[in-house]
Amino acid sequence: MKEKLSRFALSLMLALALYAAFLPTASADDLTESLHVAVDGTGAYLFSISGEISEGDEYISADNILYRIATVQNGNAIAEKIGEEAMPDVSWLEVGEAQPVFASEIAVPAANTKSDDSRKLIAMYVTHSDESYVPSDGTQSVNGQGGIYDVARDFRDALQQQGIDVILDESTHLPHDSGAYRRSRQTAERLLQKGPDAIIDIHRDGIPDQNEYACSIDGENASRVRLLVGRANQNSTVNREFAKQIKAVADKQYPGLVKDIFIGKGTYNQDLAPHAILLEFGTHTISKERVLNSTEMMAKVVSNTLYGPQTGSAISEKSAKGTSDTQKSAAKDDKGVSGGVIFLIVAVVAGVLIFALAQTGGGKAMGEKIGRNISEMTSGLFGRKPKDGNG
Amino acid sequence: MSLGMILLVVLTLLILFGVLQRVLDRMALTDRQALFLVALIFVGGWLPDLRLGMVSLNIGGALVPFGVCVYLFFHAGTGKERIRCLIASVLAAAVIYVVSLFFPADPVTMPFDPMILYGLCGGIIAWLMGRSRRSAFIAGVLGVILADAATGVVNWSRGINQMLYLGGAGALDAVVLSGVTAVMLCELAGEIAERIARGRTNGSTLQGGQRA
Repeated sequence: MKEKLSRFALSLMLALALYAAFLPTASADDLTESLHVAVDGTGAYLFSISGEISEGDEYISADNILYRIATVQNGNAIAEKIGEEAMPDVSWLEVGEAQPVFASEIAVPAANTKSDDSRKLIAMYVTHSDESYVPSDGTQSVNGQGGIYDVARDFRDALQQQGIDVILDESTHLPHDSGAYRRSRQTAERLLQKGPDAIIDIHRDGIPDQNEYACSIDGENASRVRLLVGRANQNSTVNREFAKQIKAVADKQYPGLVKDIFIGKGTYNQDLAPHAILLEFGTHTISKERVLNSTEMMAKVVSNTLYGPQTGSAISEKSAKGTSDTQKSAAKDDKGVSGGVIFLIVAVVAGVLIFALAQTGGGKAMGEKIGRNISEMTSGLFGRKPKDGNG
Repeated sequence: MSLGMILLVVLTLLILFGVLQRVLDRMALTDRQALFLVALIFVGGWLPDLRLGMVSLNIGGALVPFGVCVYLFFHAGTGKERIRCLIASVLAAAVIYVVSLFFPADPVTMPFDPMILYGLCGGIIAWLMGRSRRSAFIAGVLGVILADAATGVVNWSRGINQMLYLGGAGALDAVVLSGVTAVMLCELAGEIAERIARGRTNGSTLQGGQRA
C-alpha cells in the first residue's frame, strides 16, 4: 500500500513538473493583478506597490513621514502614521567638504575591509533579468536581457564618471519566479568576494500609472527611484540607514528624485552585506529614455553617499557636525551588527534546547545531557562532569 | 550575518555540543568528520568554480555536499533504502521545481524564505518515505541540484543562453542549507514521533521505531 502511494505521489509530482516546465515563463505579465495600494487612517492614498503588502511593513514617504502597515484587507493596506522619520543630516553637502559618510569610518565589513582606502568599488547585478519598459522595449518582460540592463549599464557608466570602479555582472537569473533571488544570490556572493563598498540590485517597478514615477528635475524629464529594504534579515537596520542616507543626499541634491523607501518582508539578498540596496528605476509604463535621464543624477547621489563630494579637500578638514553625524551612523550600524550577534546567540541556545528536549524528553535528563556535553567541550571547566567518568 | 551563515554556525555549535551525536551516528559520521565537512564547505565555497561548458560547479556549495550524498548513499543500510533515497531526491526536486514556479516571485509576497522551504520539502518527503536522516540529507541536497539542473535545461531549450550555477553561493547556497534543514527537520520530527510512540508503548519494546 505504502509503495503504491509512493509510486502515485512520484507520478503525480513528475507530471506536475513536466506540466510546469512547459508553462510560459513566469514574468511580470500579471503586474496589474499584483498591484496593491496603501492608504492612511483617513483613507488618503499613500502608495502603490507591485506585490503584496504585509502587516508590519514600513514606508518612508517622499516627505519623510514614517508609516507602518497596521491592517491588510484584500491585499490593500491601511497604514498607521508613526511620525516624521529622523533623516541623516547631510548639511556637509552644502559646504562641499569631503565627507566619507560610509566608506572609511563605519565599522561594517563592506567598507572597512579594504587595504587600499582610495579604491572606490561598487558592484551591481540584475535579479529580474526580463524587466523592460513597454514604451521603449515594446514589452514589459523579455525572454533574456530586458531593457533594465540598458539602465544598469547607463548607471554603471555614470558611476564610473564619478571616479568609481564598478563591476556590473550581466548574468541573467531567469525565469522570473521565486527562484530568481536565489539565483541572483549566487551572483551577489561572487560580487561580494571582490569587496565592494556597496552592492546594488537594479530593478524597475510594476505600477501601471507612470505618473507615480514621471517627474521633472532641473528642467529635465526624468524618472523617480524607489528604494527597497528587506526587513527579514539581520542587516535590516544597517540597510535601512544606508537607504535613508541615500534619500537624504538625493533630497538635498535632486529633490524628488528618490520617490520613497519601502521596508518590506523578505531579504532581497540584503542579508549578505550591510550596504546592499535595491533600486527601482521607474516602472514598466514609463519610457526608458526618461529613466536613463535619472541614472546620472542617481550616480552622483550614490557617490556622495558613499564617498562624499568630490572636492579634493582633506578628510581631516570635515566639520565637527559632520563627524558627529558619521559617528551616529556608525553607532546605528554597530547596533545592527550587535543585534545580529544577539540573534545568533538566541538561535544557538534555542537550537540546543529544542534538540536536547526532543532527544531526552526534558527534565533532569536534558540538563544532564547539556551539562555533560559542555563539560566535554571545555575539558571539565564548565558544565557537569559525568559521574562514571566515561562521558 | 545571513540566515544561511546563522544556520551553519548553529549546526557547528550543535555538533560541538554533542546534541547532533545521534544524527551523525545514523549518518555514519563522527563529530570530527562532520566538523571537517562543514569546514570544507566553507573553504570550498571561496574556491574558484569548476566550469563544464555552460555549467559552473561551486566546490563548497555543490561538490562537497554531493560527495557527502554519495558517501551516505553507499552507507545506506539496504538496497530498499537506496531506492527510497533516489525516489525521495527526485520527488524533492519535482516539488522544489514546481514550488519555484508557483511560489510568489517577489520576496514581499513570499510567506517565508524559499531556501528554507526547499529543505522542508526534502526533509518531509524523506521522512515520509522512510524516516531516514541519510535520505533527508540526500533528498535536500540532490533535490535542489536536480531542480536547478531542470531550470537550466528548460532555459536552454527556450534559447536562453544562461549559465547554470550549481551551489554558486557556496556555504550559503540553497543546496547546503536545504540538506542541513532537511536532516534537522527529519531528526526533530523523528525524535518527537519516536518519543510519542515510546510513550504509547508504556515502556514496552518498540518495534521498528528508529530508523537511520
